[in-house]
Amino acid sequence: MSMTFDTGERRRSTDVRPVISELIDEATVFSIAEEAWSALDEVLVPQRAELSGDLISSWVEIVGPWTGSVVVSTARDTAAELARGFMGPFAPDELGDSDVADAFGEIANVVAGSVKAALPGPSAISLPEVGEGPAVRNPADQLRIDVLWRGRPLSISVQGALPALSAQ
Amino acid sequence: MRALVIDDSRTMRRIVSGILGGLGFEVRDAGHGREGLDVLDEGWLPDLVCVDWNMPVMDGLQFVSAVRSNPAWRQVTIMMVTSESEHTQIVKALAAGAHEYVIKPFTADAIRDKLALLGLLPQEALL
Repeated sequence: MSMTFDTGERRRSTDVRPVISELIDEATVFSIAEEAWSALDEVLVPQRAELSGDLISSWVEIVGPWTGSVVVSTARDTAAELARGFMGPFAPDELGDSDVADAFGEIANVVAGSVKAALPGPSAISLPEVGEGPAVRNPADQLRIDVLWRGRPLSISVQGALPALSAQ
Repeated sequence: MRALVIDDSRTMRRIVSGILGGLGFEVRDAGHGREGLDVLDEGWLPDLVCVDWNMPVMDGLQFVSAVRSNPAWRQVTIMMVTSESEHTQIVKALAAGAHEYVIKPFTADAIRDKLALLGLLPQEALL
């Protein structure tokens, strides 16, 4: 689902488009993720590990002076475990696929809300989506952190929606 | 005491409803602002509404404005529970008529503390 926002800010075609690393850094993204997980009494360990198996992503689009997505990716069984952890004592005995998708999407929403607050505004965020995740359009406009949660790998990518500008 | 929880995420409705139910509230929920207004239109008037910001159909800010425009619902306390964490958004929500603002992620204690500030903890939660 794509959404159109009017953030109220007008820009000219000659305006320089910032890339994400000019606005925030990986330490900020990790700190945001760490805070989100600490509310669940959970700890994230910054460590790169191969994401493998049946992967799933949840993401939220940010539209403003910088436009892109916050994408959380992990293995499907880790997403299910995470959904259960997120719901804590309020998790149902049986978690269906739609329960996992809803909770996993909400995790992306929580992280994206804090990323948006760290960016220069005004910006707007979309409703969360869950699935394969958007492709990285411009590797230079991406910050990615890799972490372990309960020993399981997760990645959080803050990535631009637009391809690189061609050289003039 | 009654509470209405409005969030498009079923997960968040479960969590917030679970916390409020544990504190002794009688809880109903709705998936967006329009559904929330339908509950109020039925005559089920809550003491507290916990409402998300970003939702389809009718967002939380529109819901707050709609509730505040109806004098019959003036006594309803509204707490926004949202991932919108910028100061400007908080000011906007409070200006529209929300009483309190909780930023996701939150803990059960954070909700309880806000309710205590609002004087909305049911007697059983004080025991």
